Amino acid sequence: MLGRREGESQKRICPDNQCQGPHPLAVRVSLAIILAIAVFPAQAVDFKKDIQPLLKNKCSRCHSGHEAKGEFSINTRNTMLKAAKPGNSAGSLLFQLIASKDPDERMPSKGEPLTPKQIALIKTWIDEGLAWPRGYSFAEWRKAPLAPRVVKLPSVKNGLKNPVDRFLQSYFDKKGVKQKKPVDDRTFLRRAYLDLIGLPPTPEQYRSFAEDKDLAKYEKVVDTLLANDEHYMQHWISFWNDAFRNSYTRQYHGGNKYRLTNWLKASLKANKPYDQFAHELLSPNSGEQAAFIDGIKWRGTVNSSQVVEMQAAQNVAQVFLGLNLKCASCHDSFINDWTLDQSYAFASVFANAPMEKHRCDKPTGNKVAAAFVYPELGKVDPKASRKMRLNQLADLMTKKENGRFSRVIINRIWASFFGRGLVEPVDEMDNHPWNSDLLDWLARDFAANGHDLKHTMGILTTSQAYRLPTVEPVPNQKAEDFTFKGPLTKRLRAEQLLDGLAQLGEAAAPPAKRPAFQRHGLRNLDRLMRILGRPKRDQVATSRDNRPTTLQALELSNGDIMHKVVQNVGAKWASSKRTSDQLIEDLFQNAFLRKPTQDEKMAAAGLLGEKPSAANVADLVWVLVLQPEFQLLY
Amino acid sequence: MNNRREFLKTASSATLAALAAGVPQQAIGSAPRSKWPEAKADSIIILWMGGGMAAPDTFDPKRYVPFEVGVPLEKVISTFPAIDTSVDGIKITEGLENIAKVMDRGTLIRSHKVADLGHILHSRHQYHWHTGYEPPLTVAAPHLGSWIAKSLGPRNPAVPPFIDVGQVMNAGGETEALKAFHTAGFLGSEHGPFMIPNPDLAAKAVQPPAGMDVTRFSNRYKAFAKLAETSPIARHGSSFQRDSLLRSMDNAYRILGDKKAAQAFDISLEDKDSFEKYDTGQFGRGCLLARRLVEAGARFTEVTTGYYPFKKWDTHENGHTTLRQMKKEIDRPIAQLILDLETRGLLDRTLVVLASEFSRDMIIEGVPGSSARDQSRAKTDVLKEMKHYGQHRHFTGSGSVLMFGGGIKKGFLYGETADERPLLVTKNPVTIPDLHATMFHALGIPADHNYEIEKRPFYLTKDGKGKPILDLFA
Repeated sequence: MLGRREGESQKRICPDNQCQGPHPLAVRVSLAIILAIAVFPAQAVDFKKDIQPLLKNKCSRCHSGHEAKGEFSINTRNTMLKAAKPGNSAGSLLFQLIASKDPDERMPSKGEPLTPKQIALIKTWIDEGLAWPRGYSFAEWRKAPLAPRVVKLPSVKNGLKNPVDRFLQSYFDKKGVKQKKPVDDRTFLRRAYLDLIGLPPTPEQYRSFAEDKDLAKYEKVVDTLLANDEHYMQHWISFWNDAFRNSYTRQYHGGNKYRLTNWLKASLKANKPYDQFAHELLSPNSGEQAAFIDGIKWRGTVNSSQVVEMQAAQNVAQVFLGLNLKCASCHDSFINDWTLDQSYAFASVFANAPMEKHRCDKPTGNKVAAAFVYPELGKVDPKASRKMRLNQLADLMTKKENGRFSRVIINRIWASFFGRGLVEPVDEMDNHPWNSDLLDWLARDFAANGHDLKHTMGILTTSQAYRLPTVEPVPNQKAEDFTFKGPLTKRLRAEQLLDGLAQLGEAAAPPAKRPAFQRHGLRNLDRLMRILGRPKRDQVATSRDNRPTTLQALELSNGDIMHKVVQNVGAKWASSKRTSDQLIEDLFQNAFLRKPTQDEKMAAAGLLGEKPSAANVADLVWVLVLQPEFQLLY
Repeated sequence: MNNRREFLKTASSATLAALAAGVPQQAIGSAPRSKWPEAKADSIIILWMGGGMAAPDTFDPKRYVPFEVGVPLEKVISTFPAIDTSVDGIKITEGLENIAKVMDRGTLIRSHKVADLGHILHSRHQYHWHTGYEPPLTVAAPHLGSWIAKSLGPRNPAVPPFIDVGQVMNAGGETEALKAFHTAGFLGSEHGPFMIPNPDLAAKAVQPPAGMDVTRFSNRYKAFAKLAETSPIARHGSSFQRDSLLRSMDNAYRILGDKKAAQAFDISLEDKDSFEKYDTGQFGRGCLLARRLVEAGARFTEVTTGYYPFKKWDTHENGHTTLRQMKKEIDRPIAQLILDLETRGLLDRTLVVLASEFSRDMIIEGVPGSSARDQSRAKTDVLKEMKHYGQHRHFTGSGSVLMFGGGIKKGFLYGETADERPLLVTKNPVTIPDLHATMFHALGIPADHNYEIEKRPFYLTKDGKGKPILDLFA
């Protein structure tokens, strides 16, 4: 069968899977114009020889790929149908427009009009039924290879043994990047602590690190941090809560009563192999484990692209495969090659019975049998029970041949340390990585080492690349314009910032007497954390908004929650019997792991006065915590 | 360092907001599809009747039958008699005498038709009305206020462009759903709501935190700025992240430090006589706050009677008595708001819209044929006691909307509903996308304006299809 049935018109503009049918094209032409055209005798046309080059040359600049001027795209036969009626050229807007004598409405609007011969070719092609090679698309979407790839580890250069650095040496050479000197111990240590366990180092931890003369101290500290199962879990749980939209508070009416929380805690503490971790979520053995694929159910009628099975398909594709099925769960996608059938087949894996395909929320009467998104990896048996199907899915997802499964998570981990993925956006893994050798090597190494997340985290954070000075993010930068030169400057996440503040409060007392505070990643979402960017977790979130906002600055300046915390921290320090000078010294040490400069001392002293009250100290605490040096991760 | 200061002095606030915001960009290749219409209004106030305002007992009077034991429910449509307004041919219901007097300043729409979502869940319908999209969605949809804040920026940099007055985020099982649409969604939190749950405490929102005087507050900020300048980190020169952070602080302190704006938030500064005219309750004082904020340069302000399940407009029983109270709460302040805006010459450039997520009916739940479950708590066929008297079922077939100012026709009635049940729209239906498109049109924004998220355009009105109702404009 060539192409798709007529009437399966696709819409370019559906923003949210809730569309209602095609837009009328903006321009209409009178029939009189068509009659004025000299009609060439019909002859059989060949798509590849006659039509493809013609459309490519004359139309694709404005009407293919992401471009769809006038809401019209030539990407697929399906999108062509909007302006071309097979067998009826006279009634096809496409023909009317290319044949128009009115230069204002004639297409192409730029460049030379089509020759009479070319017009005749299009006419015949339409009249003969709009022949189209199966699967052909003008969009040329890239599909990343699925299989894991063996990449040879480059030889050691410049004494850098870490695999990341071995790949980057030739990358830097090729890009003409002069590698900078690594950052100092203080900057490195703060990075490693906050990235791996979500807490800044204490001055004591910094001192012992700085005093350590062992050249292997970088590896040692990373090992120590990763071995701290409790702190590791308390930090990374936020990353996974965001991804699995695991909210600690009740979500919606009719929502799932189970939460992933306890399972996540246990899995992270045990550093559960990532393939097993994913397997349990995809093929759950308990209501708790099922919380991710069971999704959120709202009361009442929901759009067919938002039924729980389709949510599961979308979310599993996004989180584990870096694949956007959202568009294709309403109609054939216009941002990639995925079709409605494929989305429904995948959703049917999660359903009790094959699902009826709906196009743009309208039932089609066709049931779609369950299938995995990458059939080349193997089959889900559509006749098997749901439990069996989910088990097959989990096997397919985590099998060795599915290189994408590892690449996706490795890319996310890379992005969390370096501020930007090897592939961006992290949910679009068909995009080109800026270093595919590095990504492929890391992904394969990860799989070969038992899908051990900590293993790869260790490699990344002990690299020289991780210790490079930070680079500033460039807003709206295109992927092809990006060159890796070092980690990006990041803003602390809500939990990191507030944990840092809490830790600063505890530091008023001597180390032995410090109580452990409850980490913010384990607390319920409050107004302050929400404004600081922690998601509500009603949707999958694989990255957070990293931009500081006016509302955040307001909330940090006069919000009740922040104010109360800062006053408490101030009171603790004020009651610690330190002199004004000691307070300044110790607060700077704890906040920045360094002494205050002379200027800073003076500014701080001005705020404290000679006999600082709890309020004075609280003000200094606020001033320090709000500093870019505290809020940002350099 | 100096460069940043200089830059801040010269750059407009809109530029700053845009810079701070960065992404998302306007959708590539799709902007602008339509021309930006000429703005008729600079500000907009939404008066939100949360909980489902019953049109037959407010702005769309039908057959009135007074309470009497033994009267079959089906005989009664309205539980309030109709009253005249300042416009011939427009009647509303008893208890709204003050609004009746200003009816000649605006337009009454009786044919607002919202979606039937199969099951009545206020928060879900409110989400739909406030974002233009039905939840659940694959991306987080922005609130109307965020769309407008993002598209137009603040009118005055000292007043946040999206202010939400009167809603406490506590609606039992619907709390999370309420929170879900009080957000800028994918537009990013820069454009999120500045929440003022209680208008009486609005001043606090722009004042130093409790227990801190202005001098201390300002000294603290000065010390912050001083340290930021002297920090060894600053010696590296300008950096995007650091500059963005400092800029956000500058923006915040422009709001916190502007005396005039701060006074606008403080309704206790209102002249006593004037204050009393608004003082019917928290909603009334919210209207006063909205007026003061518009005077100070607010862009989008929403004042809500508040949505609290089974309370306020959400009458599942005893509807008549409750509505008598609700009308007392809204009638005077809304009329006063219109008159005050007019007196100050602001009404022409301020669009005021009163709306609700749906209407109510004594008998029909949802619309005829809907699968919505009957949720009345006073089920009866015949009136036996006062608690049976009122609109106890949610009706999605038609509803009333008021619009004043912003170029909207004066003394105009639009749309009709049937005189007998079901009270469906019989003329000129106004859908949510069309109503939104009309509001956007007044503000000078095309209905197919859009921003890109996950490579696809996301439109201010669903699929960009909202059509402004040009008949409503003078």
